[in-house]
Amino acid sequence: MSSLNQLTDFYYKELEPELKALEKERKVLRSRIIMILSFIAFLTLFFMLFTARKIGMDDTILFIAFGGFAFGGFIYKLLIKDYTQQFKQDVIRPLIKAIDHNLHYNPNHAVAEALFSFSDLFSNKIDRYSGNDHVKGEIDGVSIEFSDVHAEQRHSGSKGKQKYTTIFQGLFIIADFNKNFKGHTTILPDSAENIFGSLIGGWLQSNNFSQNDLIKMDDPQFEKEFVVYGSDQIESRYILTHAMMKRLLDLRHKAKHQIHISFKGSKVFIAIDYRDDLFEPTIFSSLLDYKTAMMYVQTLHMATGIINELKLNHKLWSKK
Amino acid sequence: MTALIIGGIFIAILVLMYNSLVGKKNQVDNIFASVDTLLKKRFDLIPNLISTVQQYMEHEKSLLNRLTELRAQAMKPNVSDEQKIALDKQMSQALGSIMVAVENYPDLKANENVMHLQRTLTEVEAQISAARRAYNQAVTDYNNAIEMIPTNFMANAMHYRRKELFSIIEQERQNVNVGELFKK
Repeated sequence: MSSLNQLTDFYYKELEPELKALEKERKVLRSRIIMILSFIAFLTLFFMLFTARKIGMDDTILFIAFGGFAFGGFIYKLLIKDYTQQFKQDVIRPLIKAIDHNLHYNPNHAVAEALFSFSDLFSNKIDRYSGNDHVKGEIDGVSIEFSDVHAEQRHSGSKGKQKYTTIFQGLFIIADFNKNFKGHTTILPDSAENIFGSLIGGWLQSNNFSQNDLIKMDDPQFEKEFVVYGSDQIESRYILTHAMMKRLLDLRHKAKHQIHISFKGSKVFIAIDYRDDLFEPTIFSSLLDYKTAMMYVQTLHMATGIINELKLNHKLWSKK
Repeated sequence: MTALIIGGIFIAILVLMYNSLVGKKNQVDNIFASVDTLLKKRFDLIPNLISTVQQYMEHEKSLLNRLTELRAQAMKPNVSDEQKIALDKQMSQALGSIMVAVENYPDLKANENVMHLQRTLTEVEAQISAARRAYNQAVTDYNNAIEMIPTNFMANAMHYRRKELFSIIEQERQNVNVGELFKK
């Protein structure tokens, strides 16, 4: 497993020819996109004005604006498709191989929806599920898989229109846990206590009927950041030792986004709420840009580093 | 009519307070029972451990004897909860010392049986530590309830008394990490 510095070096040195080629392609693509999208915008505006003149202001104009917008989006996706595939093939795949040879990458797959629901991290009903950039394999004898996941829920609004809201979008990681346990433990960001303060928030938490028993942890910092629900008071604490709580807090700070964690069926599930599709190439900024590079390198390093970070490779327990 | 409603609400509040106190007390008992089960699980490992290591460990005879003695004390009937808590503490320390001593015997360290025992013991230690923390949380909830207004009046009438916590001293906290010593 390579360190963050080694990976950054790898990105800039080993991948340099690929990055340069992609960079050239990106510039061509960018001007093409600007040209075509401007044309579509102009056409849409023209039709809107034309309609306004002909039949006056009404819903049709909105309809045209919306249509133009959707068409623009569709064309945009179509234009970047080849470039995106190239990028994943030439940059993301080698990066993953550089982290560990035993990792397999499939840009078009995602973690199975059944596993996502099994984690019990999100109680909302999932109506639309998608994802990409699936990585699976073994690091240090511990199985791990992760991918981008986007889970949405359908709402029916006024006039029978259907609307989708995001339940979760970000990185979803599954790894084998090194201790035996039977029940399940869920760790969620502590929104109630942050919004309502500890008194009312604490009361709300203990009366959250959609979850199992509230488990109060004896680490004040951890308690402030997270709320824990579990099926067994002792087992949850067996999993969440003082050391583990500290490691999860570190992970929370490293991820810089809210994290949801659950322990169920001998696995640990970690959902990092980026609210964004990760590992996609940039169009309007350079791939050689340090910030862009770090976004790929750091995210991959963090996801695969979870095994070390949480010491899942320490086989001290009777679990084989 | 108003008096009736007020009376009704008053009784309802009393019932709720009573039930929550009983619930908290039972939670403490319930978790203590689990602690007890886990302590027993550890006691059951001790004869096996001693019989495996004693032929090698000449210099630690007194330590092994002490462990046997502690186990005998703990297995006696009518041991109070407070005594159990005290015995558990001594037992943890004695076991910790033995595990450290094992490091001095390469034959022992490589012994399949000892390795298995070590793993099991680390696991039970970790479970006991978790159970102690769960117990302490339940006792804290219970103690808070019997000391805070308004449940303290009710608790007084029910003759509920404060319960003792397991003292988790810094050294004990690290007990969970005894396993760190056995890293290859």
